[in-house]
Order: sequence, then structure tokens, then C-alpha cells
Amino acid sequence: MKRKNLLQSFSQSRREFLHMSAAIAGSIAASSTMSRSAFAARENELNIYCWEGYNSDKVLDPFRKEFKTNVKAQGLISDPDAVNKLRAGETKVWDIINLNNAWGRRQLFPENLIVPLDQARFKPKWDMVLPEFKWPYYWAMSNDGKNLLGMVQRFGPSGVNVNTDKISRETVQNDGYEIFLADDFKGKYAVLMYDDWVIMHLCMACGFSPFDNLSDAQIATYETAMRKLINNAAFLSDDMNAIALGMVNGSIIGSFPGSTYTVSAARFDGNANLRCVIPKKGPNNKPGVCWMELTSTVNNPELSPRAADFLEYCYRPEVCKNVSFAEGTYNPVTQMGDKRVMALYSKEELDAIQFDTLDEDMALCSDFDIIPNYPKLHEIFATAVRERKA
Amino acid sequence: MAEAAQSLKPPEPAGQPILQLRNVDRIFDSFAAVDRITLDIYEREFFTIVGPSGSGKTTMVRMLVGMDKPTNGDILLRGERINDVPANRRPTCMVFQSLALFPHRTVGQNIEFPLKMRGVDAATRRKRALELLDQLRLPQSYYGKMVTQCSGGERQRVALARALAFDPEILFFDEPLSALDYRLRKLLEKELKDIHRETGKTFVYITHSLEEAMVMSDRIGVMNRGRFVQIGTPREIYGSPHSRFVSEFMGEVNVIEVRGEAGAVVDAAGTRFATPVVAADFDTGTLVVRPEDVRFVGAGESADNRLTGVIYNEYLLGSRVQYQVRVGEGQTFLVEKLRDQMPPGGPGSAVTIGWDARDSMVFPASRLQQ
Amino acid sequence: MSRASDFAAEAPAPLRAIRAPSRLASLGRWFAEPGVVAAAPLALLMLGGFLGPLLLVVVFAFMPGGTFSILQVPTLANFVEIVANSYYLSFLASLWLAALTVVICLVVCYPVAFAMVRVFGRHGSILALLITAPLFVADNLRLMGWVLFLVKGGVVSGSLQTWFGIEVDSMLYTSGATLFGLVYIYLPFMLFPIIMGISMVPEQMREAAFDLGATRFQVLREVDVPLAMPGILIGSLMTFILAAGSLTEARTLGGNAVTMIAMDIQKEFGFAQNWPKGSALAVLMILLAGALAVTALKRIDLDLIFGRK
Repeated sequence: MKRKNLLQSFSQSRREFLHMSAAIAGSIAASSTMSRSAFAARENELNIYCWEGYNSDKVLDPFRKEFKTNVKAQGLISDPDAVNKLRAGETKVWDIINLNNAWGRRQLFPENLIVPLDQARFKPKWDMVLPEFKWPYYWAMSNDGKNLLGMVQRFGPSGVNVNTDKISRETVQNDGYEIFLADDFKGKYAVLMYDDWVIMHLCMACGFSPFDNLSDAQIATYETAMRKLINNAAFLSDDMNAIALGMVNGSIIGSFPGSTYTVSAARFDGNANLRCVIPKKGPNNKPGVCWMELTSTVNNPELSPRAADFLEYCYRPEVCKNVSFAEGTYNPVTQMGDKRVMALYSKEELDAIQFDTLDEDMALCSDFDIIPNYPKLHEIFATAVRERKA
Repeated sequence: MAEAAQSLKPPEPAGQPILQLRNVDRIFDSFAAVDRITLDIYEREFFTIVGPSGSGKTTMVRMLVGMDKPTNGDILLRGERINDVPANRRPTCMVFQSLALFPHRTVGQNIEFPLKMRGVDAATRRKRALELLDQLRLPQSYYGKMVTQCSGGERQRVALARALAFDPEILFFDEPLSALDYRLRKLLEKELKDIHRETGKTFVYITHSLEEAMVMSDRIGVMNRGRFVQIGTPREIYGSPHSRFVSEFMGEVNVIEVRGEAGAVVDAAGTRFATPVVAADFDTGTLVVRPEDVRFVGAGESADNRLTGVIYNEYLLGSRVQYQVRVGEGQTFLVEKLRDQMPPGGPGSAVTIGWDARDSMVFPASRLQQ
Repeated sequence: MSRASDFAAEAPAPLRAIRAPSRLASLGRWFAEPGVVAAAPLALLMLGGFLGPLLLVVVFAFMPGGTFSILQVPTLANFVEIVANSYYLSFLASLWLAALTVVICLVVCYPVAFAMVRVFGRHGSILALLITAPLFVADNLRLMGWVLFLVKGGVVSGSLQTWFGIEVDSMLYTSGATLFGLVYIYLPFMLFPIIMGISMVPEQMREAAFDLGATRFQVLREVDVPLAMPGILIGSLMTFILAAGSLTEARTLGGNAVTMIAMDIQKEFGFAQNWPKGSALAVLMILLAGALAVTALKRIDLDLIFGRK
């Protein structure tokens, strides 16, 4: 079982590499077509920039065939990096952008980096989604509520990951994040280095919401906790597979933070003892943070007409399932509100994405949003990492 | 040519062999680059090994300095076998064809190198280096100059000074002058001879130019295909070459295919040539005459050998003039004269050429096999 | 000194009396040279594609924090903040690890390169191929391979436990693991310049030293190393700069046990969304690396390396 895991994480990174090189080649090709685009409409090409999963051949190949379109896809590795690229002028390259919920409404649309969707065409699609995402869904709409900014598909709750053989789900739920900050937990956990998520969850751990304006006293509390969290960690890594591997081989017990999707692959692989747990105690009784991805059309001067087709395509039941179980990353999708979609899942697959407690977990989560004190909180985080006493 | 008179000195000054080769072979795969050579080199002598490229002379010197080992045979230094003594533990030293000066060091540091390796203190080293600069006719200001800033001739002197600083018992030279222009080469050849006399050391010099060898050497060994074809003083090599190879190696010569019949030498057309006494008959062989031994024969003058022909070309060689004379069908002769001995008429004029019997060098083919 | 006059004539006597042409005229002539004309398109491309972004980074470094525009009033605030904060830790960590990497790579590469040039000769190319082969795989992937090797329950600790019963914890996530990764990744950047440096040492130069009585060690010290120095310096410089600017090794193998300066820079551009501060850090790093490169290159004669002498 261990070996399977090793192999799996290896093949995942190999795939990442292949995708990355394909995407680089793709973007070169894409940029070289720029000069041509003045003369030829981009009917047969589509460039998508998205979180891992949408760039898998399982999702893209049928689309390529059906629409006779040359699709170039690049996987992104951080929301802010992707936003940087669009800001730096790559709106000319991409047609589709897929980011975590808050970015679209808060930044991309106000900065004119994405364009609204045709509501006549897309509103009916929202009939498929789970009740909590019903039209008009807050994160899919512009501030004035008039524009549809994108379509929501993958989502998930985030709290911490633990090996339930070592520490029970109930203990974590009841004792909360404090377990990780306790002295006797030193060296028993890893910090998953998705900076903004570490910051959000640590605020929750300190008893206040990261989405509120924080007082100096709160920030001081946060700083003390952050230093302890970073100093006491066994290691810091932005590789969820490395962390899952650590939990499997017993070198660590848990991961802070941790989401369903950071353990779903390991769970599907037979490690049912790894689990994402959302603590119960915390601000507004919602100490978890949930994310959902918004897939939008980029404000590309030569936007491919295939972009909207692709969004529509992603809402077909079999494609929903393929996105949900793309290579290496397994997530619930909002279209699980549709029976045709649900019928495509096996029991093992539902178990991998912790479907049994999904509603309960989501209910404990605040929505991922802009963090008002982010610059300060991030600086404290970065300093703690830099000054880490390992 | 005052220096040429120097070579009239007794060729073996001390009379004692310093370096001896006994049946030395060096075989690469199945090819013998050096083929069973036995040779004595004497104390204080200037011995030159001369031969065309590929004759084995470089292979030989590499064995003599210790960078290569003989496949068979022994090398003796003052009677002691040194086959297996590495180069850095032999009291010999070599000036390389490339000079192999250290480009990252100054002239002074280069010269001091062997002393430094031996642990000589800095002050003594410097004193010796400055002495050597004097001896090699380089200004003392060159001590701190980088060797990369020196001209070709200066580098040559630095390389020699460095070798002398080593104070070797035998100094080897592997064609060090071959990259220099003619004038500078001539100058340095003579200087090297002076230095040989001043230092009283044994010099073993390698070159492909017999002319260079003639100027400097006490004795010359001519090598071909891994063997010595003749060893002797410059005078012997020039005056009585043992073979066509040696005679041709000296420079341009006139060659006639001949056979020996009852003590007479006859070419294919039946012309008889006056030669020194020829002991045995032979079917094929060559008669060699040097251009400078051939002269124009005027009416009423006599010569042991006479041929008539037409002047075809005239080459000015500075103090001398060379004529190409066509004699009969396709046979041309080179005639070399001093400038003031101009012939009657220029190209196109009919002339009679001739030479003395003692200047005919006859090499039966059996001796060509060497 | 009787022949000194003959000797002096050997050097060509250039006519130095020619009047120096005006600077403008000589510049004009320079632009008209075929080499310059032929190189112009590429040079312009390099200038635009290479210096352009660099210039943008420099400009951004003087913009107020958090902005995405270069049309603000310039300020030194970013640099003040960097100095006031603990960024020196990352700079020191990067420079220290880079220096260690250089030392280790040197110690490992010199004998290997020496063997490849002097001992294996033509067969050395096979060894070179073996060493180059991993370069065809992306470095993050190769590091991932090492993770699987060194992680607890991975190839090394698993084998030790199975065969010898030795319990080994994870060998990852320490500064030692980071250093190992750096040495592993940047070894070829040291090796190949050193191979070049060593092949530049003429065999006759070594033989001459040996013939002049030097021991093997003296030949190494007096001839081999000094003459291979351009290669050694270039290799060290490349390795140092690449290692100092690296981040993957510290992240993948090191588990962020040490923070490299490149990680801080990336954080500022990425999660912190503070381009000006990231730019200011980058500028400082470029200055540091640039100063080092200039100092080192001053000591190398590039003409010598490319055989123009």
C-alpha cells in the first residue's frame, strides 16, 4: 500500500511536469498566434488557465474532438500568480480562467480582467447545482448582482487533515485547532504552504474571522500563534502529496491546514484513516473555510467563441464526473445536486471525497473571501517562516 | 662561418659515454616507432638526431627524458639503468617544441620553477634567475614580465633559461626552433651553440632539418623508420652519405638511375659516368650529384663527366644562383653557382655541364633498403 | 648583448604616430562593421527581451508597496522595510548554502573532471553523457525522486529497515537535505566548466613541469589548478549564483527548514501581492550576484578560454 502511494505521488508529479511542458509549448504557440489573430478568427482554438484537473485529457479530449478545437491548457499553482499573469497582459493569451471564488467578484471583474456570461444561455444550468449554490449564487455574481461572472463547479471544505488512527475525528472536531498549537504536538504535523489558507485557518484558530478587520491585539495574538505554528511544525511543504505521504508513513499525524482534496487521492488509494476534519469551535461557529472554483471567460480582445461552449460543456453530467475525478485530484462538484450526475459515482469514490460528512463539514465553513488585513498577516507569516527555528 | 669551424673540434671532447642505448625498442601495437637502437652519446657533446616526421625521433627523446619507457632494451645513464626512473627524478631536462612555458607566471617565475620545486629559497632563486637572464642575453627587467607578453625569440630564451636553471646533466631539445622564422632561427642556432660551449653540458637536439643539425652539432644521427641510417660528424654526413636517403635529406640533389657493370656505372641510355671505384656490380642503383658540385664547362675546359643541355630556368638564391638545365629527354639537372660565376648566356642558351668523378656518389639499390 | 639589436628588430614596429581618429568617427566605423551589423538584430532582441524586464523590476523596486503600477512617486520605503525586517536571514542563508554548495561541488567535480579529461580520454564522453542524461528531466521531478528515496519508509530507510533492521527517520526537511539537493542539482554546472578548464591545460605543460623536477602534487598545485582556473571560476560563479537564487531544493527536500531569498521574492510577487517589495528584494539579489560576477570575471581572461590567444 505504501508503494502504491509512492508510485502514485510520483506519477502525479510526472503528469504535472508533462502538463506543464505541454502548457508552456501551448502558451508559446498561443502567443505566436497572436499576430495571426488579427486576420483569422479564433474559432478553432481555446486556451485555458486553470487549477489542476481541467487540464486533464479526460476532460479535454472529448471537447477537442467534438468542437474540432485545438485546446491548450496550463495548470495554475496559485491564485495570486494567475491573477498576476492576467494583470501583466496575459488576457491576450487566455480564454478561460479558473480561480477560487473570491478572486472573480473581488478583483478580476472590478479590474476588468474577465467578462460576464450570457445569462440567457447559462442561467438554466444552475438548476443542476446543490441547494447551497442556488441562483443567484453570491460568488458567481458581480457586486451589483447584475452580471454573471462565471460558473461554479468544484468545491470543498477546508480545516485540518489528520490520521484518524492516531487521533479521532471527534477529538479534533471538539478540541479544534488548539490541538495543533499544543506543546505536545510539536513535530507531529506539517504546514501546508498555501499562504492565504494558513493565514485564514490560523485566524480561526485564534478565535477570530480572517474576513473581519482585526484589532492590534488580535494581530499580536495571531503573531504569537503563527510563530509557534511554524516553529513547531515537522516541516513546511506546498506539496500535498508529500504531506499525505508523511501521514501514511507515520512521520506526522496531521496537516495544518488540510482540505478534502488534499487527502482524497490518498483516501481513494485505500488510506481511509486520512481525513479532513472541520473543528466545531470557532468564530461564528464556522471555523472552517470552504472554497469553490469560479470558471470565467477572460477579457481577451480576441476571445475564442469556444470559451462559452467549454463552460456549457463542463456542465454535462459525464463531464461533471470527469472534472470531479480528474487525474490525481478528487473533489465534490456543485452539480451533485443533479441525479444524473450522482448516478455516475461509486461508493468508493464518494468515500474518497468524504461525501458522508460533506454537508455537515460545509455547514461549519465560512466562504473563502478577501482578507482585509492580509498584507500585515502575510508579512507576519513570511517573517515567521524566515525566522523559523527548525 | 666562424661557427662551422667549431665543429672541427674533436667530436668526443671527454671521450666518456654519458648516455647509452642498448637495443632499445618502442613498439606501439605492432608498429616499432623505435627499432632496436644502440647508441652512445658522449659527455659534453652536441648530438643531433635528425629525421623526417614519423622517423621515431620524438618517441626516442621521450624515452630518453623519461616520459615514455622502452618496450625492450636498456637506457643507461653513466652506466646505470634508468628505464624506470620517471622524468622528475632524472638529472635531465627538455626544451619542448611548444616550449611549454607557464602562461600564468612571469619570466622570473618560469625560470625559477625547477629551483622552487627543489625548495631553494627565494633570494637564491632570484639571483640565479637574473644570472640566467644575463647569460641568455635578456634584459634583467624581463624578470617581472609575463611570458605571454614576450616575443617568440624571447620565449625561446626563457625556455632555455628555465631548463638551464634545472642544471641538468643532459639537456634535450625537441625541435624548439621549428616555429620561428628563418632569420631568427639562424640567429638562435648559433646562440645555442655558444651556450653549449659556455655551459659545457651534453646537448641532445632533435630536428627535421639537416641544415640546422649541420650548423650546431658535433655529431649527427640521421633517423629513418625507427633506426639510425648514419651517425657521424656533419662533415662525414655531408661529404660521404651512406645512402641516397641521407644524401637527399641534405637538400636538392641530382639523381640518375644507373646500374653497375664491371666496375663502370651506366645509365639506361648507355652513358658511362666517371665515379670513384665501385666494388661490385649491381642491377639498379642511383648516382647522386650535388648541384654545387656541377659546373658549366667552357670550350677547352675539362671535366670527368660532361653533358650538354639547354638552360631552362634560373633561380636567384641570394649569394648563389641555381640553374635548371634540360639534358636529353625529360632529364633535368640542377647547377648551383656563386653569383659572380655567371654562365655564358641566360635561359635558352645551350651549355655543357660537368662534374668530377670524386663528386659522383653511387648508391646500389641494396643499400637503399635501409 | 651583441645580438640584442638583431633581436629587437624581430618585433614588428607599429607606426604609433598615426593621429588618433575622433571618437565619433571611430564609433561610426564600428557601427558599419559587418560583425556589428550582423549582430544588431539579435543584440536588440536581447536588449529588449533581457534588459527590458530587468529595468521594469528596478523601477518597481522604487514604487510604494502593494501597487501594480509604475506611475507612482518613487520611494525608498521598500528598501527601508527590507533592512528593518529580518530579510538578512534569507540573504545569509542563501549565500551560505550557495557557498557550501560551491565548495562541495568543487571537491567532487575536480577529480571527476580530471579523470574524464586525463584518464578516460575519449571514453570520457560516455561518462559525460551519463552525467548529462538526468538533465533531460526537469529538476523538480528529479528532486521528487529524491523525496521518494529519502522519505521515511522510502527507498533508503525502507531498505535499511528491511535488510539491516535499522530504524531511520525521514532524512528530509532539514538544511542538510537542502544542501544535498543543491549539490545534486547544480553539480553539472560546476562539472562542465571544470572539464573545459582542465582540457585547456596543455599536456606538454604538465610534462614540462614534471620534467623540471616537480612531484605529482606540485604539478597539480603549480600547473593543473592554476591553468584550469578560468573553468573553475566560471563553474563556481555559475553554481554560486544559481544556488543562491534557488528555491525548489529548499522547498521540496528542505521542507522550508531554511528560507532562501528566492522564496521570499516569490512570496512577495505571489501570495503577498506586493510587487514593489518583491522587486526591491530582487534588485538587492541582482546587485549582490552582479558584484560577485564582476569580481570573479575580472580575474578570468575570456579570450584565453575561447582560444583567441
